Amino acid sequence: MPAKTILHIDMDAFFAAVEVHDHPELMGLPVVIGSPPDKRGVVSTCSYEARKFGIHSAMPSRTAFKLCSHAVFLPPNMKRYHEISEQIMEVFRHFTPLVEPLSCDEAFLDVTGARYLFGDGPAIARKIKAAVLEKTGLTCSVGVASNMFLAKIASDLNKPDGLTIVPDSEKGIAAFLAPLPVKRMWGAGRKTQAILEAHHIRTIGDLQTVAPAKLAAWVGESAAASFRRLAFGIDDRELATASEEKSISNEITFDEDQRDAKVVEAALLDLADKVGMRLRRAGFYATTAQIKLRWKDFSTITRQRRLDPPCCDDITLRETALELFRKEALHSPVRLIGFGVSGLRLTADAPQLDLFQSPEKKTSTRREALSRAVDRIRAKFGRKSIQRGSNLNEN
Amino acid sequence: MKLTIEKDVLLEALQKVQSIVGQRSTLPILSNVLLKTEGETVSLTTTDMEVCVKTSAAAEIAEQGGTTLPARRFFNICRELPAGQVEIEVDVKDVATIRCGPSFFKLVGLTEEDFPPLPEFEESAVYTIDQNVFKEMLQKVSYASSTDETRYILNGSLLSFKDEKLTVVATDGRRLALVEQEVEFSEDAQASLVVPTKTLNELIKTLGEEGLLRIRVSAAQVAFDFDRILIISKLIEGTYPNFQQVIPAQCEERIAIDRETLLNAVRRVSLLTDDQTASIRLTFGKNKLELVTNSPEIGEARETIPVKYEGKEISIAFNPGFLMAPLRHLDSDEIFFELSDELSPGVIKTGVPFLYVLMPIRVS
Repeated sequence: MPAKTILHIDMDAFFAAVEVHDHPELMGLPVVIGSPPDKRGVVSTCSYEARKFGIHSAMPSRTAFKLCSHAVFLPPNMKRYHEISEQIMEVFRHFTPLVEPLSCDEAFLDVTGARYLFGDGPAIARKIKAAVLEKTGLTCSVGVASNMFLAKIASDLNKPDGLTIVPDSEKGIAAFLAPLPVKRMWGAGRKTQAILEAHHIRTIGDLQTVAPAKLAAWVGESAAASFRRLAFGIDDRELATASEEKSISNEITFDEDQRDAKVVEAALLDLADKVGMRLRRAGFYATTAQIKLRWKDFSTITRQRRLDPPCCDDITLRETALELFRKEALHSPVRLIGFGVSGLRLTADAPQLDLFQSPEKKTSTRREALSRAVDRIRAKFGRKSIQRGSNLNEN
Repeated sequence: MKLTIEKDVLLEALQKVQSIVGQRSTLPILSNVLLKTEGETVSLTTTDMEVCVKTSAAAEIAEQGGTTLPARRFFNICRELPAGQVEIEVDVKDVATIRCGPSFFKLVGLTEEDFPPLPEFEESAVYTIDQNVFKEMLQKVSYASSTDETRYILNGSLLSFKDEKLTVVATDGRRLALVEQEVEFSEDAQASLVVPTKTLNELIKTLGEEGLLRIRVSAAQVAFDFDRILIISKLIEGTYPNFQQVIPAQCEERIAIDRETLLNAVRRVSLLTDDQTASIRLTFGKNKLELVTNSPEIGEARETIPVKYEGKEISIAFNPGFLMAPLRHLDSDEIFFELSDELSPGVIKTGVPFLYVLMPIRVS
């Protein structure tokens, strides 16, 4: 498996597709979303049928009308598009919290951690495509690769309803990029393209073979270095997710203030399970666990404990939650109980390697495997398909 | 109790016993040193309930008896006294009067009856070894033990008497030091014991350059007899990890390096490691070793030293402290560094039966 798995997902002719979906009578017709043809303004999106006539986004609507006078011109309904966009992003976040939306109809997803749960990159891509189609009736194109640059290029290659998988090996990546035109690369604008064209550099493959010194002489030192990296598909940027997760927590306010420690404990364990599942789905290990207790009079306490080794399994999280809770005397009814983890890391292993595997680490590894197996069962058969015996009397 | 003793003799005896006295012991009596006349000598005993150190010194005894005095204060007084005879007289209330030349002290003690009795000792095995040999063995390995109390068994060193030799091992789970020495003992005296680091540090401090050391082992304790000193220590109970399995049977490459040159280079380069991820990278090339550390916030340090090496290039990162520790405690001019790859343990060896296994640091 590659170190990272990144998806780039792009909705196919998004605005036009939403309109066709909402108005089935438009099916099969050239649909143009943008300014009316008799006004100044440009095409925002058009259906694939309209593209056959040479219409594309950013083209003046008048020109589009000249190319295809029987096209259906519709004003954009942004409110509706954002509504659908929200649904799509929600689908994405079901698979991973690491989503970087680029606009309302495209996003990067880091599914490295989600591989444990949903299978490898291509499998996740297929699941997402199916889920988006089911939820919105729309199709999208997905690129699966080991970094953002490659994923973005890939998603655009087999539109619409495409799925393009970039090889993982260095050689495979170079061969994948070689036939593509230079303009596919980020940072290769018209001016640069013209310079490269003048030196007979048309494809990324051409760029791979040109001597670094020559390239530097043509486009400058820093641009040359960047182009060479991209030409070989090297890109180590991290996703800029809106809320980079530093902690994961969940809490519940009781309908009536609770005096019964058993009821509070049951709620706490349920929260620990939920937090554990989110933690594993995000591909993190936590180094600290915390409980939060709010009493009837709204006074609130938090209690935390270090997790060593860092963990992500339900059993340890539940044990820790209970241990922290049972240290507190229930001096008054509980209004709210919460559980959270923080100090999230991508690996349970410290950089300094160990000579012996400690018993704690062995236990932790086994518990993690168990929790992930439960996750997979639940992903397939539903949350209630497998439960702890101690939870059964609640249901 | 009344006695007269040479100041230097008293000071030397106190020096041997005072260091294990706790600063904040829960029992006040544990801050005291037990003084007891025994014929023509006075014995001095301290304990922290784990380790007990007893020594004796020649004195002119005028009146037999015993008492306990605050060890730290008694030691400080003794250190500051002028050279000459010290007269100590203790009354029935355990108040000691100390006179030496023009100096006069009254020091309030506690009754000897409250002092914990010396542990009963039923030995099952006895070994004899040269003091200096044993001291050197301890010096070469005991620093590698752990101070993390969650892995208590590693808070000491393993002494294994087996196959006609003594093997001493210490590890904190990341590095392991081992030294061996042939020792004579009977077939039925095979044993292994884990001795607390604190006890071993006492031994390193007090063992002499010549003379024999007698080691007696009972079920839960060990006693070290040498010169006029007796150290009795609890053993750490539990199963010591199977250290044999973490010693690589064979490494792919072997590099000969001048010990001091390596130690000095590591010390200099480690000046620029950051505390978070203290690591330095070692790159072994043809007859040279480059040591590098860099971090964006602090800077970079780099040094290249000559080595004897013809093998493949290996780049590996280690904690500099773990790398320097054995180099400091060895005395051979040349050491051998054995490596396989960047994620496998490195092994430091010398001509003598010593080895040090060190796990690398993973660097992304």
